[in-house]
Amino acid sequence: MMGKVKNNVSGVAESPPVAARNRKKAIQRIWYFRHVYLFILPAIIWYLIFAYYPMYGVLLAFKDFKYNLGILGSPWAGLKYFKAFLADSSFYETIRNTLSISVLKLLFGFPAPIVLALMLNEVVHTKFKRVVQTISYLPHFVSWVVVVTLLQKILSPNAGFVNDLRMQLGMEPIFFMGMPSLFYPLVVISDIWKGVGWGSIIYLAALTNIDPTLYEAAEIDGAGRWSKIFKITLPCLAPTIGILLILSLSGILNAGFDQIYLMQTPSTLHVSEILDTYVLKKGIRQGQFSYATAIGLFKSVISMILIVTVNNISRKYTEISLW
Amino acid sequence: MSVKKLTLADRIYMIINYTILILFCISTLYPFIYILVLSFNDGYDAMKGGIYLWPREFTLRNYEKAFQHPLITSSFLISVSRTLLVTVLSVLLTAMLAYGLARKGLPGRKYIVFFFFFTTLFSGGLIPTYVLYRQLGLMNSYWVLIIPSLYSFFNAVIVRTYFTGIPDSLSESARIDGASENTIFWRIMLPLSMPVLATIALFVGVGCWNDWFTGEFFIQDQNLIPASTLLRKLIAEATFESSTTSDSGSQILQVNIELERIRQTGITPESLRMSFLVIIVTPIIFIYPFLQRYFVQGVMLGSLKE
Repeated sequence: MMGKVKNNVSGVAESPPVAARNRKKAIQRIWYFRHVYLFILPAIIWYLIFAYYPMYGVLLAFKDFKYNLGILGSPWAGLKYFKAFLADSSFYETIRNTLSISVLKLLFGFPAPIVLALMLNEVVHTKFKRVVQTISYLPHFVSWVVVVTLLQKILSPNAGFVNDLRMQLGMEPIFFMGMPSLFYPLVVISDIWKGVGWGSIIYLAALTNIDPTLYEAAEIDGAGRWSKIFKITLPCLAPTIGILLILSLSGILNAGFDQIYLMQTPSTLHVSEILDTYVLKKGIRQGQFSYATAIGLFKSVISMILIVTVNNISRKYTEISLW
Repeated sequence: MSVKKLTLADRIYMIINYTILILFCISTLYPFIYILVLSFNDGYDAMKGGIYLWPREFTLRNYEKAFQHPLITSSFLISVSRTLLVTVLSVLLTAMLAYGLARKGLPGRKYIVFFFFFTTLFSGGLIPTYVLYRQLGLMNSYWVLIIPSLYSFFNAVIVRTYFTGIPDSLSESARIDGASENTIFWRIMLPLSMPVLATIALFVGVGCWNDWFTGEFFIQDQNLIPASTLLRKLIAEATFESSTTSDSGSQILQVNIELERIRQTGITPESLRMSFLVIIVTPIIFIYPFLQRYFVQGVMLGSLKE
């Protein structure tokens, strides 16, 4: 084939032979790296099965899924299920709850690790600092099952810590976990409790990278403690804060499945049902696979658009971006 | 540390700061202490309340009962074996993937990275995954606890970043001496990367130990569920107990019979749950502080950009 090309074209300089040589070179390079590809191969196979096949499975959302017919064999349903959930009032309630919880977590939970990191940064006794840090990481390593169990026990109407104290003061015990008005506060508080220490790691790392001469210069100029925090520390943390904010904003449709699912009680469902728990109940509990897949797909697509958009906007205006 | 003298304002500021941090530590630790104390207290006695810092009627019976409970023991066997197996396999496979992705000059590396990265942006979601497991016959099988947990792109990125920090000259000189990729991976890269491998081993191990979801929705066989799932099931029962007020006479009668039995044994479902929770949390409390230096580094590596 190479010879043929050579004979045919003389006017187009030497580009075809060069291209062919390049191709041969590329193949040689790939062959040279063949063992490296073998290192990646198991991961490719795994991801094809466990990540890409489910992506193909979102076709379920456009089908009237029957088990015996399989995904491809099931009859097409078009946008039936998308129209169905758009007409479903509990879908809107779910969206509202999801956004409410996410926004509350963002408002209160996002600044918490920054505050903790700033406080730890002011500690001069290294040993004390280390102990506080170690303790603060603990809740990150236990599961939501454990955290919610602790919460339920402490708030339990049957001799739980808080009700115990209430009764000693002559008050009636309350079933806190069943109160819709307390659901969001409890979600936000337990979320901060679990994540604040872990979240502070990254800020503490960024704090150690701040050039100490900046502070020295500021001190000479007579800057006080607070002006140093606001004029030096926070601006130096801005890139880190920005990256984490992008991540949080794009995860706004994830209100935290584990936590919410485990904290829900029948009496709080109207404020606690979020997209993820709704998909789970519709799909796995009630067997409405196509309907649940449609909602899940809706969520995935919006989330993907969000992360790409937020990232691009941020990259354009602030030069802070994930990629 | 600077040697300048602290002003009064500095001192006050420091005292307030330290006080808040100490209160923060107490609020983090106390829930665990509360449960620990309750787990060592007689269950019937605990129903009266008023136990905060020290057991009132000390007993080991909750633990005896927990270790005799067939479901609890089997769930621990499942959790331990699963955690060990997944941790070893996952660390190895992740390191292999990271080695490939860290290799300079690999043709098509950009596309391969995107192949993995894309899965973090978009996923098929729960139901297609559920259908996949059923088609693969993973449902209600021990392997559903193993195979789907083997890879995480986030961990691979951490290890890859670490690998790229190892000087090329080491592997290049080995390559000139005729070492194969395999030799370089096992003899050079892995031994030099122990801190980061310990970090992801911790992440994977803890994730596995804590995962209740897989057992809850993909396994029906009671003897196959891991400890976290069992704890979750026990709590679900408890929530049900406290959210339904029993009005009918027969139910109240049953509660009375139950109370009588509890008074004799000193074990309530509640006290059993508390001891179970302590047993589940203990391994984590004893492992993570020793790896602190490593995982702090791991979090920082994970946050580095390309």
